[in-house]
Amino acid sequence: MKTIPLLISLLFIFNMNANAVTLRAVMENVPDTGFIQELLPEFTAKTGIEVEFEVMGYGEMHPKLVPSLIASTGSYDFMPVDFYWVGEFDKAGWMMPLDDFIKKDEFDTSVYFDSLMDLTGRIGDTTYMLPFYNYAMGLTVRKDLLDDSSNQAKFEDKYGMKLKLPTEWDEYLNQVEFFTDKDKGFYGVVNQGGKADPIAMEWSNYLFARGGDFHDDNWNGLLTSNNALEALKDYVSMVNNYGPLGAESFGFDEAFNVAAQGNAYSYLTYNFFLNSYNDPEQSAVVGKMELIPVPGEGGLNGAWGWSIPKSSPNAEAAWEFLKWVESPDIAKRRAALGGAPTRKDVFNDPDLNEQFDHYPLLKDLLATAKNFPLFTYTPQFVEVMGTELSKAVIGEQDPAVALKIMNDELEALAAKDGKR
Amino acid sequence: MNKNSYIQLKELNKTFNETVAVNNINLEIYENEFFVLLGPSGCGKSTTLRMIAGLEDITSGEVIANKINISQLDPKDRNMAFVFQNYALYPHMNVRKNISYSLKLRKVSHEEMEKKIHWVSNLLKIDQLLDRKPSQLSGGQRQRVALGRSLVRDPVAFLLDEPLSNLDAQLRVEMRHELIKLQKNLAKTFIYVTHDQIEAMTMASRICIMNNGNILQIGTPKEVYEKPNSVFVARFIANPVNNILTTNIKHQNHSHNLECLNIELKRECLTNRDLVYFSIRPENFYIEKNNSEMASLKVEILQIENHGHDHLISSTIENNNQKIYFRLNKFHNLIIGESINIYFNTNDILLFDINSEEAI
Amino acid sequence: MNKISYYNRRFGYLLASPAILILVLIILVPITISIITSFFDYTLIDRDLDKFTGLKNYFSVINNPKFINSFFVTISFVIFVVLFEFLLGFLIAILLNKVTKFRNIYYFILLIPLLINPVVVGLIWRMFLHPQLGIVNYLIGFLGISPVNWLGDPQIAFVTIIFVDIWHQVSFMIILLLAGLASIPEEPYEAARIDGANEFRQFLDITLPYMRPVIIITLLIRLIFAVKTYDLIYIMTKGGPGEATDLISYYIYRSAFISLNLGEAASMSVLLLIIICVIIFPLFKYMNRADE
Repeated sequence: MKTIPLLISLLFIFNMNANAVTLRAVMENVPDTGFIQELLPEFTAKTGIEVEFEVMGYGEMHPKLVPSLIASTGSYDFMPVDFYWVGEFDKAGWMMPLDDFIKKDEFDTSVYFDSLMDLTGRIGDTTYMLPFYNYAMGLTVRKDLLDDSSNQAKFEDKYGMKLKLPTEWDEYLNQVEFFTDKDKGFYGVVNQGGKADPIAMEWSNYLFARGGDFHDDNWNGLLTSNNALEALKDYVSMVNNYGPLGAESFGFDEAFNVAAQGNAYSYLTYNFFLNSYNDPEQSAVVGKMELIPVPGEGGLNGAWGWSIPKSSPNAEAAWEFLKWVESPDIAKRRAALGGAPTRKDVFNDPDLNEQFDHYPLLKDLLATAKNFPLFTYTPQFVEVMGTELSKAVIGEQDPAVALKIMNDELEALAAKDGKR
Repeated sequence: MNKNSYIQLKELNKTFNETVAVNNINLEIYENEFFVLLGPSGCGKSTTLRMIAGLEDITSGEVIANKINISQLDPKDRNMAFVFQNYALYPHMNVRKNISYSLKLRKVSHEEMEKKIHWVSNLLKIDQLLDRKPSQLSGGQRQRVALGRSLVRDPVAFLLDEPLSNLDAQLRVEMRHELIKLQKNLAKTFIYVTHDQIEAMTMASRICIMNNGNILQIGTPKEVYEKPNSVFVARFIANPVNNILTTNIKHQNHSHNLECLNIELKRECLTNRDLVYFSIRPENFYIEKNNSEMASLKVEILQIENHGHDHLISSTIENNNQKIYFRLNKFHNLIIGESINIYFNTNDILLFDINSEEAI
Repeated sequence: MNKISYYNRRFGYLLASPAILILVLIILVPITISIITSFFDYTLIDRDLDKFTGLKNYFSVINNPKFINSFFVTISFVIFVVLFEFLLGFLIAILLNKVTKFRNIYYFILLIPLLINPVVVGLIWRMFLHPQLGIVNYLIGFLGISPVNWLGDPQIAFVTIIFVDIWHQVSFMIILLLAGLASIPEEPYEAARIDGANEFRQFLDITLPYMRPVIIITLLIRLIFAVKTYDLIYIMTKGGPGEATDLISYYIYRSAFISLNLGEAASMSVLLLIIICVIIFPLFKYMNRADE
């Protein structure tokens, strides 16, 4: 007799669950995640779908995702994919093609910048991701110091050139030297020299700025070129001569804090940090930092894309979320909160341009940004880069030897991937 | 016995927080005595011994040995040997090393050490055990090793803290004899702590009875046995029990009648007393009158305990209900419930004040 | 009688079997799978267990200078960490053993670091050790010492992780050693005082022999766990700067989760297992011999 009410209540629960889907995703602990979280209640109100984020540091995301991706049904319904996992996820076949969803709902992907679609959108002819936010790297500098007239006079005196927002790499090097005053605890530059990801990302900009590159179209390595060697020597000199103590171990958190507390003239970093500089709760230099493209021949592009894993438990509901979060309205509001946009229409929006006057600059950044080598073994290559660069910086490896090792590894991994 | 006072305790006091363990005691121990501190658990005897040894700090008072005030000296500087109840052997050293440890610390020469070990192991008959570890020895063997350890130091006095309590009855008797012999041979002062009055009676040259941190009586075994100075001592020195009863006193012209026993005593001390403790040892009762001066007492038998060599009988006094014990040899035909007369000498009656419990 | 005891035994096995089954599943099965995987070229990208390569993984690992470096870094880390934790822990345990008042309060305070999650420990100390903004350099500035590059200089970083690990784990030693000390009876010490032994001799001749089994087992446990140190490196140095703090656990982790090469990672794990067994085996034997 007792079983009947039990069965009925079980049916109830099942029924309720069938409607109340909860989407789960791993998200990075960066401002853009926070902006979405603010808007989530609207998504739930509109669709009845709950969304739960597991927010964590960058390094923990990949290991968390992988077990879920290799299972037939994983724990995560959608995921942000960092550009350098794209090759690996593609080779392993972990991402679900989105073409059918896109066609069904007539989602317009032409609004995305081509460079971003190439990075975290299309692979070959299939669309696997929708670009989420970009983190092209640029140079943040203390505009107030550049505007100071006594600085201008002294600089022109010493170097024979005007003190202004740097457009050439040598110009920037001079400024770094000029502004460094270690006795006063002020540094021309703060680097994120921490092993693997931070140093690899940052140094890529130095390489590109000097006109160097990682490989040619046939995947022959170009890291043993003179440009690369100069770029590495620059970096070593920056960290050791013009940077604060301990930069060899800094991640982007530590480096940002040094600049945000007003102890550094410049910090080469992800563009979204500009908004953090202007947040009085985190920064002591509100309004003083300006973001410019990396002086010289361009900086590193970076982006995340939205993807639905093949192992997603609720692929349909996940697509609903992707549609919503990348809809023009929501994309605009994320940008208004301070998010880094990926859509041309957002970039061109007049309201946003009024709110953020660095948008034109950001467009430039995206236009000139170059890509990191993208293939299956990108993460591994980043590891090797990180180790060798770190060794060069602390003086345990000759820069030329370090570059040779990186180059050989790049070519070996490319061969393994069938690229050459 | 040499009557030179060798070790003196002057107003020796040990107080833990609020509790007084040893209450300002004074005593003198003579050279080459076998001096026994006797008392129930917690009476302060071990604490006193440990203060003499230096294992316990002195709260106030002095310990003098051979005219030197040793109160502040470290144990090792007092040149006394201590034998522990649990032997306290070094479990990771063999017997040889245990015995010679103190010599090693004093950097005694190897030959000297060998000589001493040889002497001690022969004396105590442990020469076969020298290479064993304590865990491989029996209780009695461990005790000998502990003794050996003290002997080897050639101390001026031996302090023994209930050394036999962990041994079985038979072994205890053997060791008692050995210790007595040893002390005589060495001609050294032994201070011995025990709660066992048989040990005290058989071994001591003098016994010091303690209770609650105070000394009650010091005397030879004969003295404390025959003339206990208090109810406590009378009760304590008994094998296995003593009779301590009360009685009213009826005064007559020149004598006093102890109502309970219904006998007359002419003792002066009974004047002006109406109630008194009295004691007659169980072994002082007889089933037959041996001489005309013996008094008699009618009792009803309650229990008969067979002790093998004799019987201990508990009974109640007629018209009085106080329990009285008496010993008889094993050849008798008493049965429980029987009423009989038992006989005793009035000289064997010991009297104690009803309030102070002291002997009168 | 025989029948009853037979049924008793059978019942006993029956009761114990779930626990045994779980143990087998949790321990033996993963180890076996790891060992099998190590003989294949198996990555998470191409998840087919079809490329049997025998000992190739092992050879490539042993010939890899980065692995060798990681191995030696780990060995020296483990030796330093265990040694210092032992010495410091023993000293503190001895001192604590003599204290009677407030002992529980000291005990509790000393225990706190051990209770903190290792990831949190790493994060807290990373913050404290920030060269410009961290509190440690700030405080030592008052002593006139110039700021130290705690995590950026390779030699210093190595010392730093040792120090943080000691801070975190020394109370493990304290607990075990203190328990051992507290169980030593008082009397041999008294006998020794009478025999003339000073504190140092008492320590050598009484305390140490009593403590031998406890010491050995404590060292053994700590050694095994020290080799597995991972969280500290992951949070604080990522193996850097350079390869100065590239402990073997972190190295294997990277092989498995960044290179996604499970075959190689499995072979490293097996090698590590073998090496640990070789190291602890003599200690183990010594401990059994010491039980007398």
